[in-house]
Amino acid sequence: MNRPVTVRVQKVKKNRIRTRLFFFLFLAVILVLVSFFADQIVPYDPYAQDLGLSRQPPSPAHFMGTDQYGRDVFSRVVVGAKASVFSTLVLVCVTSVFGTVTGTLCGYFGREIDSVVMRISDVCLAFPGLVFALAIAALLGGGMSNAVIALAVISWPKYARVARGQTLALKNSDFVAAAKLAGDNSAQMILRHILPNILGPILVTAMLDIGTMMMELAGLSFLGLGAQPPVAEWGNMMSGGRSMLQTYPWLVLSPGVAIFLTVVTFNLLGDTVRDYMDPKNSGS
Amino acid sequence: MKKILAVLLVLCIAAGILSGCGGGANTPAASGKKKIFVFGDTTFNAENEEPDINPHNAYSGWPCIRYGVGETLMKIADDGTLKPWLAKSVTNVNETTWEIVIKDAVRFSNGKKCDAAAVKACLEHLVKVHERAAGNLKIASMKADGQKLTIVTSEPNPILMNYLSEGYGCIIDMETGIPKNGCVVGTGPFVATEVVTDNHVKLVKNTNYWDGNVKIDEVTVRTISNGDTLAMALQSGEINGAYGMAYASYPLFENNKFKFSSIQTSRCFWGMMNFHKENPGYRIMSDPAVRKAIAMGINKKGFVDVLLKGYGYTAAGAFPDSFAFGKGINTVSYDPGQAKKILQEAGWVDTDGDGIREKDGTRLAIRWLTYPSRQELPLLAESAQATLKDIGIEVQINNTKNHNSIRKDPQAWDVWVSANVNAGLGDPQNFFDTYCLDSSIKNSGGHHSDNLEKLAVQLRGAFDPGERAKIAVKMQQELLDDNSYFFCSFLRMSMIMQANVTGLTAHTCDFYELTADLDIK
Repeated sequence: MNRPVTVRVQKVKKNRIRTRLFFFLFLAVILVLVSFFADQIVPYDPYAQDLGLSRQPPSPAHFMGTDQYGRDVFSRVVVGAKASVFSTLVLVCVTSVFGTVTGTLCGYFGREIDSVVMRISDVCLAFPGLVFALAIAALLGGGMSNAVIALAVISWPKYARVARGQTLALKNSDFVAAAKLAGDNSAQMILRHILPNILGPILVTAMLDIGTMMMELAGLSFLGLGAQPPVAEWGNMMSGGRSMLQTYPWLVLSPGVAIFLTVVTFNLLGDTVRDYMDPKNSGS
Repeated sequence: MKKILAVLLVLCIAAGILSGCGGGANTPAASGKKKIFVFGDTTFNAENEEPDINPHNAYSGWPCIRYGVGETLMKIADDGTLKPWLAKSVTNVNETTWEIVIKDAVRFSNGKKCDAAAVKACLEHLVKVHERAAGNLKIASMKADGQKLTIVTSEPNPILMNYLSEGYGCIIDMETGIPKNGCVVGTGPFVATEVVTDNHVKLVKNTNYWDGNVKIDEVTVRTISNGDTLAMALQSGEINGAYGMAYASYPLFENNKFKFSSIQTSRCFWGMMNFHKENPGYRIMSDPAVRKAIAMGINKKGFVDVLLKGYGYTAAGAFPDSFAFGKGINTVSYDPGQAKKILQEAGWVDTDGDGIREKDGTRLAIRWLTYPSRQELPLLAESAQATLKDIGIEVQINNTKNHNSIRKDPQAWDVWVSANVNAGLGDPQNFFDTYCLDSSIKNSGGHHSDNLEKLAVQLRGAFDPGERAKIAVKMQQELLDDNSYFFCSFLRMSMIMQANVTGLTAHTCDFYELTADLDIK
């Protein structure tokens, strides 16, 4: 008696999640497209100084006002998306791929390689993340690429742990044993049977990580260890304008709102992807 | 349950915010009978070679004299002339002999009389340990007789008394010496009780002060190198006065709750080029065309009008034209078109279309070293980065607190940009002696000019102010003609304080901040 109702409820729920997924995916795609075509769509050169237009409040000519060097803030925010969004996506891609491969190999082969790699990951996880990233970035020097490297060094163990745990669970399952009996070698086992079955949790972790990584990259730039002047990057822009928060608030609010909206979009997208992939929400 | 927790959480956060907003207003009313003054300073730190208040250490004489711990024999008036302070009179007996009579009333803060013997002991220690003093003062011998001190110099030194008015000339009691806690004993209105590098100095009223009644009982000078923190501290009442506020924050204080004390100073935003052959950028910096293009590519007026918000004026040479030795200087003006032409003619051409010029495979990129505690230096760097890029020069900015150690590495920078009080002693010689000559301890770029060295010898021997001014003008012209140095602007310096503070006055020499006149009404 209850079964048809449950299925219907589940289907409605699944449809809602799907709608949400498309909505946030749409927003995320727009953000990525804006980042990609930033140079083409900005109304002004984001690096051209015009001291005569210094610190102009928002107006029709300058949608988000101008900064102390007379640069158009809207143009800098749009171009800053390129640095912020792309760097974050590259960072998440690199760390998730590296962490997944490492974790899968450790989980599958075990023994010494597993012990060594997991102890290394323990070391990385033992430090507070951002503090460790600060130390690495300070060692490497300023620059967006160095900030990405610093965050990559502290971020891969998370994926390695997830991938290893999933691999250990799958390694002893019946279908893997059957594949072994069918004569698959280790590479085939990992590529055909393990990786496809652990990608779900990895993808969810990666999606949820985008917002965090974006905040951390912006944080490093804010502290002067990421993008360097005059590069337009949101954290860097907030740092440059922070002394004028009370007098010229648009200098901080514009990149701040950009970070907020982008992080919220990717976080909600990550949540929705997680919900979508959750078997409990399956209507079938 | 969740709602209750949420309400509690919101209440806790609100309580935290409110307690954070509660200012530590150190008004007499708030702190009982004692008058307590808290001062915020962006520059009292190791970054500026001011790690403590021992005048015999680096530039620590500056906080010593600024915060009213130490006093010098003569005082520099706002017009650059010298006035007696601890000294009652100074007589230049001949080119190498000076007779100084110390005022009878002068006492150290420990109550001990400050006589000629005490001054002699202090100066002997100074020239023994200080990196600049011996070379500046050239003291051959000293003789103390009661209140009369006779100084004989090894060679004519027309500005001996000017140099003795520098921060390092603060007279401290050498019987007490330099205590481990850094609290030297001076003659000023305040006595140091605690010194913590890069953090604070605690001072109390000098009850033995020889020159009047000190009105403030306790002073804390806090090192607040971050401009935002400084602004918020003054707004919240956490500090009563501030030095080094960013110009962008001035509008916050342009109301009846605060007041300004402002004065034109000779603090100059200027840069030196690196001529060391081991510098990887030597090929670029040794090219006169590049140096000239850099000098022509910096928008000084824009920097002053917009980034300094008009609190300054453009510089031609090292000194303001209010001094005789700052007049009649010829320098290049901001002219990007001409700068491009000069580079083009010198063979610097953008061959790969990236906007930056190259010559024989060398990219026209310069490393610009500067530091953040002078809040306008990073602004100048970023402004120059844009204007120089327009003419095809890439500027890589290194804005770091660590600039003083990096500056000493001849391979680590191409242009070092600083902000210094170039005529703080009322005379031009100190600037050349410190930054431009073979013997200068801060000639970090290795600049050398035979002609400049000859002129420096003439300057050191000239007693007539008019003649000294002429020589100083020639020396500046020498620096400017080969564009080995560039001078952007002079600063209009301000101290901002709560409206009830009196006696906190800015001076052209940038000394004498906390005096016996300081009071809170």
